[in-house]
Amino acid sequence: MNTDFINICLADDDEDDRLFFTDAFDELKMNTKVSTFNDGVELMNYLNNEDSVLPSVLFLDLNMPKKNGVECLLEIKKNEKLNGIAIAIYSTSSSEEHIEETFINGANIYIKKPNDFEELKKILSEVVTINWQYHTSGLNKDNFLMRM
Amino acid sequence: MKYTQLHKSPVFLKIMFVISVAIIFFIGGITFKHITVLKKSSAFVSNSYEVNAELERLISYIKDAETGQRGYILSNDKSFLEPYYNSRVLVRKSYERVSKLTSNSRTQQSNLKKLLYFINKKQNYLSKSLYMIEQGKFEKNTFKNYSIIGKQTMDSIRFKVEDMMKTQQMLLKSRQHDYKSTMNYTPLLIYLTLIVTLILITVAFIKMNNNLVLLKNTINTLSVANEANNLAEIVSRSGSWQLNLETETYTFSDNEYRLLGCEPQSFEASLESFLNFIHPEDLEFVVQKTKNILTENDLAPFTFRIIRKDGEIRYFRALGRMVSIASGDKTLIGTTSDVTEEVYAQNLMEERNRELEINNKELTAFNYIASHDLQEPLRKIETFLSRLISKDYNNLSKSGQQSVSSIQSSANRMRNLIHDLLQFSRTNKGEKVFEETDLNVLFENAKQELNQIIEDKKAIVESDELPILKVIPFQIQQLFINLISNSLKYSKVEIAPIIKINTRIITHNDEEFLPNHNSKYYKITIEDNGIGFDQQYAKKIFILFNRLHNKNEYEGTGIGLAICKKIVENHKGFILANGTHNEGATFIIYLPVS
Repeated sequence: MNTDFINICLADDDEDDRLFFTDAFDELKMNTKVSTFNDGVELMNYLNNEDSVLPSVLFLDLNMPKKNGVECLLEIKKNEKLNGIAIAIYSTSSSEEHIEETFINGANIYIKKPNDFEELKKILSEVVTINWQYHTSGLNKDNFLMRM
Repeated sequence: MKYTQLHKSPVFLKIMFVISVAIIFFIGGITFKHITVLKKSSAFVSNSYEVNAELERLISYIKDAETGQRGYILSNDKSFLEPYYNSRVLVRKSYERVSKLTSNSRTQQSNLKKLLYFINKKQNYLSKSLYMIEQGKFEKNTFKNYSIIGKQTMDSIRFKVEDMMKTQQMLLKSRQHDYKSTMNYTPLLIYLTLIVTLILITVAFIKMNNNLVLLKNTINTLSVANEANNLAEIVSRSGSWQLNLETETYTFSDNEYRLLGCEPQSFEASLESFLNFIHPEDLEFVVQKTKNILTENDLAPFTFRIIRKDGEIRYFRALGRMVSIASGDKTLIGTTSDVTEEVYAQNLMEERNRELEINNKELTAFNYIASHDLQEPLRKIETFLSRLISKDYNNLSKSGQQSVSSIQSSANRMRNLIHDLLQFSRTNKGEKVFEETDLNVLFENAKQELNQIIEDKKAIVESDELPILKVIPFQIQQLFINLISNSLKYSKVEIAPIIKINTRIITHNDEEFLPNHNSKYYKITIEDNGIGFDQQYAKKIFILFNRLHNKNEYEGTGIGLAICKKIVENHKGFILANGTHNEGATFIIYLPVS
């Protein structure tokens, strides 16, 4: 496939959120290719498929049917082939428990879904352009939650 | 003190008794001896008189013999010889009697031997001269000779007898002297015995009477106490039992029987009879508990079920303790009380507590989930709205634009509400981890959080040195945020807000309402120069959803100060508000110095 694209995946059961997400990238006019999945099972099927192109950033909603975000996170981090993918948690919740749990299990950043479309665009563009290697080495609980 | 105790002890009585008996025996013995001596003395007196009389008789017999012989010689009438012949036997008999009477006096016995010699001599000469006459060979000279010797012998006899009588007299005198002295002592001794006995009897009587009175009083007190105890047992629904460890016998109080639903003393008290009432499921437990009574001398309190005679199941609580009673017997006394109501009440309370806990958890969870899930649609409304505004705002009519603005502000307000509600439920939630925290850091963090508003309003927020305290850090930080933002919110429009925080240590005596189990408190005062409020609302402002202003004038949810109150209460502290309309408000927090 075309390696000029930045491959981005989103697993979110909410149709509106998926729409905001794809629209935001459309409007950002970055060199991205966005794939969305309706739940954790769909996402894992895709990732486990040998033909699939692995994303450079995976946005993971936490509250999903069938397989939730944390379960996906655990599975990905256990899988040697997949554990290099940068994972951004993308959730409505900003509760300490969720933040702590996903941080411990190896997520790279925690994004609280913003309530303003412009803000969403800003966040997404920033996340996509993060130098993950640099970010991950300096990661701690305080900068794990993304603040704008 | 010791003396009185000894005096009262039964040992003292025993010693007294033994001494008394010994004294009576001693005096009695002496008296008996005296009386025996007296008896002997009087016997001796009569003996002496008898000896004298017998000696007189002896002489008169000899004289009779002499007279008879003389009569015969003068008249030659044989009838005169009769006393002469009789006298031999009579003299022998009389002599033997005297010998017998004086057998215990050696002097008299030797005198008697000499007397016998003279008597024999006399009789010999009497018979010699009689023989001479009977044979008709009367010789004047010989007869005269015989008569002279006979007379001399008679005199000797007389002397000897007189001598013996004198000796007897002397013996009698000495005896009489003894007798007299004995007679002097004897009545005194008898009198003494009598007096001592009387005194002892009186002392013993008084003592026994005292003891009897004491015993009676004790019995009275005891019976009153016993009755009181019976009543107390009835009122307190308890019974008591005793186990005499020497005899291994049990005694149950009346109420113990009543507790079991039986008539008092209607069956023999024993461990077995009691075990019969115990609930089969608890029997093993009770047997296990009571097994060691005899070895451990103690019965730790424990609760078990019994089945009353009428079939009702009751809860009993029993405990026992070893006591040594006055008689020295070891006795285990125990009480049993019917704790059924308490057990039921406790069970009910525990159940209620559980229900309450569950309800509380559910409520917290509900509150949390509800507010959390409400965020989701709200966020979408806002996101869609933001897209609408950025893309199509200019295409809308004036009234359409107005409506969009209204929707936006309502959505904004709803977000604040949900945010605050979430905050409030988080304050309620269980995990309260207290950490030693520098409140200055929390204050700085709070200021940082409110940085934007502080800058916008050109506010001055300052604090003197805050303490280091054991607190739930995020809650105290929230407390600062809420109070400072509250002051910023209700600031006067034209005047830059000044918020001053100061801290000092006070004791519980300084404020009337402070409880005295914590002696020292930090009093943290947050003072502003805002619009203030009427003091009559000072309590109301801390109630959830309570607002003093119309939401068009000041935005607010009515949750912030309720959260503050909750946080302070979580830290066992107090929060008060003082306000003066148009002059400012002061919030005072009291946190215990841990």
